Amino acid sequence: MTQTEMIQILTGFIGSVGFAILFNIRGKRLVAAAMGGLLSWFLFVILSAFISSEAICYFIVAWAISTYSEIMARVLKTPTTTFITAALIPLIPGGSLYYTMANAFHGNMEGFLQKAIYTLQLSAALALGIIVSTTLFNILQRIIKSKSAEKQTQV
Amino acid sequence: MMLELFNFVMDIGEQMLISGAEVHRVEDSINRMCLALGAVRVDVFIITSSIVVTVHTADGQTHTQTRRVVSVGTNYEKLHLLNELSREICEKGITQKEIEQKFNAAVNCKKFPLWFEFVCYAVIAGAFTLFFGGSIIEALVSLSVGVAVRLGIFFCDKLISNKIFGKFFSAVVATFLAFWAVKLGWIADVDKVIIGNIMTLIPGIGLTNALRDLFTGDSIAGLLRSIEAVLTALAIAAGYFLVAVLGGFAL
Repeated sequence: MTQTEMIQILTGFIGSVGFAILFNIRGKRLVAAAMGGLLSWFLFVILSAFISSEAICYFIVAWAISTYSEIMARVLKTPTTTFITAALIPLIPGGSLYYTMANAFHGNMEGFLQKAIYTLQLSAALALGIIVSTTLFNILQRIIKSKSAEKQTQV
Repeated sequence: MMLELFNFVMDIGEQMLISGAEVHRVEDSINRMCLALGAVRVDVFIITSSIVVTVHTADGQTHTQTRRVVSVGTNYEKLHLLNELSREICEKGITQKEIEQKFNAAVNCKKFPLWFEFVCYAVIAGAFTLFFGGSIIEALVSLSVGVAVRLGIFFCDKLISNKIFGKFFSAVVATFLAFWAVKLGWIADVDKVIIGNIMTLIPGIGLTNALRDLFTGDSIAGLLRSIEAVLTALAIAAGYFLVAVLGGFAL
């Protein structure tokens, strides 16, 4: 892990905590949300060493962090959104959105299109990762529910 | 089912939506609460700005209520308390007075003081300047710009309650101060300072939530949220363009 990556993990974590406080997350939930923020960029750094496509990394991290959020939400009995929104803060493509704007301003149309598409790609990857995780959890929950219902009827 | 309890269910749903719950979750909660309170059939339709609920009671009556939701401010502590309350209503055995008390407690839940929000904005902006490869000096500039951005939002909230304009104005403030810092020779490049501050303004969560709503089938809510996110991004870009063109700093 290089120094830049360490700085990114640390500052991404600080950013997550900042947003968690702005979103008025408190107590144990704040700790869980902050840990998610730390985990998300840490995972990204590790994955990006093996996978060259950033969008795929985003997808996997979003999936993993949403799964973490679903679990924490059930443990701490609170809506999942709380953890997802705070923990995925470091993955928000703010940089590429800025360069989209800057390229448009300097009349660099090629760069503008490239960055615009890239920003959309990253956002879509994020959303897809969250949706896949949520859907899997819903299916799992339904299976568990129908199993416990079966047991009750047998007794 | 008592009509007064129906009012509470609507209030809880409205407040959940305001504090940042997804459309799907609010629909689900209202549905469950109404059924637990003795409704025979519940029809719920929610988009980000409106709630429509019709309940059919056991004695053959129908009641419909609508709520117009104007402002949304993310407050997960409030959402947490409301979520707990809706669970308790579903488990039954809770009196009307208790519902009222818990609802008021949730709406008036603890918040961090305003000055602390300024600190958060500054720290977030500074942290993300470093995150995107800025130097320590750039981070320090970004930190102070962050305070100015929050101040801009503060005045916009007081003067005009238009969120999109607030973002535009904040982008103007951030870009202007960044270019000014370059002119004073404190930093060499505006990029990292602006990016750090954009992170506090950007509708990243909005766009992600919008796409989530779209993919999970709440298409109208998803479209509304997408448009909102795109407009916010355009407002930020417009603020940046205005300063960069009129100021002539970039040329």
